[in-house]
Amino acid sequence: MTPQERLESLLAHNTLVVAGGVAAVGVAAAVVGCFGVLRRRALVGDAAAHATLPGIAAAFAITGRRELWVLLAGAAVSAIASLGAVTLIRRHSRTRDDAATAIVLGVSYGAGIAAISGLVARGVSGSAGLEAFLLGSTAALTLEDSLLVAVISVAVLAVVLAGLKEATLVAFDPAFAAAAGWPVGWIDAALTALTASMVVAAVPTAGAVLVTAMVVIPPAAARQWTDRLPPMLAVAGLVGFVSSLAGVVASAVVPKLATGPAVVLASSAAFLVSLGVRLLRTSRRPSGMSEP
Amino acid sequence: MMVWPMVVAAVVSAVCAVVGTMLVVRRMSLLGDAISHGVLPGIVVAVLAGGRPGGMLSTVGAVAAAMLTVWAAEAIRRRARLSEDAAAGVVFTTFFAAGVVLISLYASRVDLDPGCVLHGILELAAADTVPLLGVAVPRAVVNGLVALAVVTVFLAATWPAQLFAAFDADAARVVGVPVGFATTGLLAMTAVATVASFEAVGAVLVVAMLVVPAATAELLFRSLGRVMAAAVAIAVAAAVAGYLAAWRWNTTAAGMIAIVLGLCYLVAVLAAADGGVIPRLAGKGWLAWRVACEDVLAAAWRREEAGGNAAATPAGLLFRLAGSWLRLRGKVEGPTDRLALTDAGRGEAETIVRSHRLWEAWLGRNVELPVDHLHPPAEWVEHYLGADVRRRIEEEVGPASSDPHGREIPTERG
Repeated sequence: MTPQERLESLLAHNTLVVAGGVAAVGVAAAVVGCFGVLRRRALVGDAAAHATLPGIAAAFAITGRRELWVLLAGAAVSAIASLGAVTLIRRHSRTRDDAATAIVLGVSYGAGIAAISGLVARGVSGSAGLEAFLLGSTAALTLEDSLLVAVISVAVLAVVLAGLKEATLVAFDPAFAAAAGWPVGWIDAALTALTASMVVAAVPTAGAVLVTAMVVIPPAAARQWTDRLPPMLAVAGLVGFVSSLAGVVASAVVPKLATGPAVVLASSAAFLVSLGVRLLRTSRRPSGMSEP
Repeated sequence: MMVWPMVVAAVVSAVCAVVGTMLVVRRMSLLGDAISHGVLPGIVVAVLAGGRPGGMLSTVGAVAAAMLTVWAAEAIRRRARLSEDAAAGVVFTTFFAAGVVLISLYASRVDLDPGCVLHGILELAAADTVPLLGVAVPRAVVNGLVALAVVTVFLAATWPAQLFAAFDADAARVVGVPVGFATTGLLAMTAVATVASFEAVGAVLVVAMLVVPAATAELLFRSLGRVMAAAVAIAVAAAVAGYLAAWRWNTTAAGMIAIVLGLCYLVAVLAAADGGVIPRLAGKGWLAWRVACEDVLAAAWRREEAGGNAAATPAGLLFRLAGSWLRLRGKVEGPTDRLALTDAGRGEAETIVRSHRLWEAWLGRNVELPVDHLHPPAEWVEHYLGADVRRRIEEEVGPASSDPHGREIPTERG
């Protein structure tokens, strides 16, 4: 097929619906990610992201089914288990925080790789499709799949917006929030759980290795445009929307291009443009004036 | 099963363990993760330019990409008003994505498998051999040994600076130790280790091989030299075991090696003699048991003192078990809820009550506490006072006196 034909088949197929689902994931992941970036916990989702793989492989091996909801349920269980493991290591061993994250990330990714390769080597039918979760592929997403991830995204988005006041307070001044009697620990855990949910929902699109970029790069880009949270959420959502759509289209048009890297590069481009614009704007301002 | 892939795995694991020890003690584990992702475009460009995945050109490309990753993360942190982790997250995912896209775009021209990036292909890495002293040795082994030599020489040459920077970077800077050079060099060595392991385990799993052996060794030893030696030993053992397990269950060696490393770490967390979960729990359990036994004895002694009318043996499973144990040892006798002391148990019981009342007397003299507040602290302290302390207290409160409740303090026995 020529790129022209690919583009036509893209438009003809139910791809538009799939693209809609992926775009919803991009928006919700970006919005949730803002809180991680502001709270200096941008990489909290990375361990969970790598840990989705063993869950996906286990769900497939146990049930023998490959519907997306089954696999994502497995991914959610192992993602939460990985966050629990990081917490347990921090509390009960001398290992430092950064090493704890790296250990859980590396070992769970290795377990996922071993499980998936083992299934493929045994010729289990359908197991080869699991490799799509490494770097992401939207080509195989069905209508139901994209509806599923869209529903998760909308639900997460609704929870974040409903709890905006609490989340903002904890993001900007956890010490004050604690002193004022807010359950900071629980709000904290809820934000982490929401991030983990979006990482799980975004794994089919971006793949386990790169999915963390979907909760980091759009918020980082949005940070260049504004200092206030509501506009930052909006800009991040927009960047997430555009870059996931661009990634889906690029991977559909360019042969052998996985969706994940395409989405990441699209959002990186948005980040570079945002950073460039801000640096230009601040350099024009007379010296001595502080940043907005 | 073949021997050479196992040797490849062992050699590259050793390289990673040496570099990883420094990363872990300097709290740079996640930087190691970022670099192992960030070097990918450097390797791909080098391979596109005609280099081999583990060769000289890719090493140069990888080190350059690593430096670029670190520089870009630092520049973004400063200029984009982002925290360190967010800046690193932006850079390493972008670099890794760029590397994957390059591979996809030039797939026909690149001798690189996407699978190689994600988990390495150990058998393939071992199949490419060069003759060395008449033996066909895998190129990956030679490259790995060269990398090991480079890393070792670098660390040996900068060892005082590394050691100082690892334990107090600020103090090191103040006295003029080249911390910046030591750190940059360490990051370059991380890139060298990643290139050396790239074919065998891929760019993503390197983080497990860098961090887990060192983190495990750190739980077992305190001195840096021992931690590094143990990390290398653990890494090599895990490489061999992981390769055998992968061969047995027919799956990817790199993944199995990561799993074995994870199990090693788990065992160390649970069983490390110094701070491990099991020794700590065992210590707590032993203490609770000793306290329960002593409480049973002291209760029996007090009842004896009161002529059998005082409170019963403390109730509860732990106390019942403790009572049974003491009965077995011949220290108490009689019905379970009203245990009486034997001659063998009386001395021990008396010592505990003596400790208790001495402490109450001491508190009553030296701390202005109401009399009814003296019992609870004494109830704890009675289990920890040795003969020396008891004698000192007795000297202070006066011999053969009574406690603040007016009860007699038993004299020291033996």
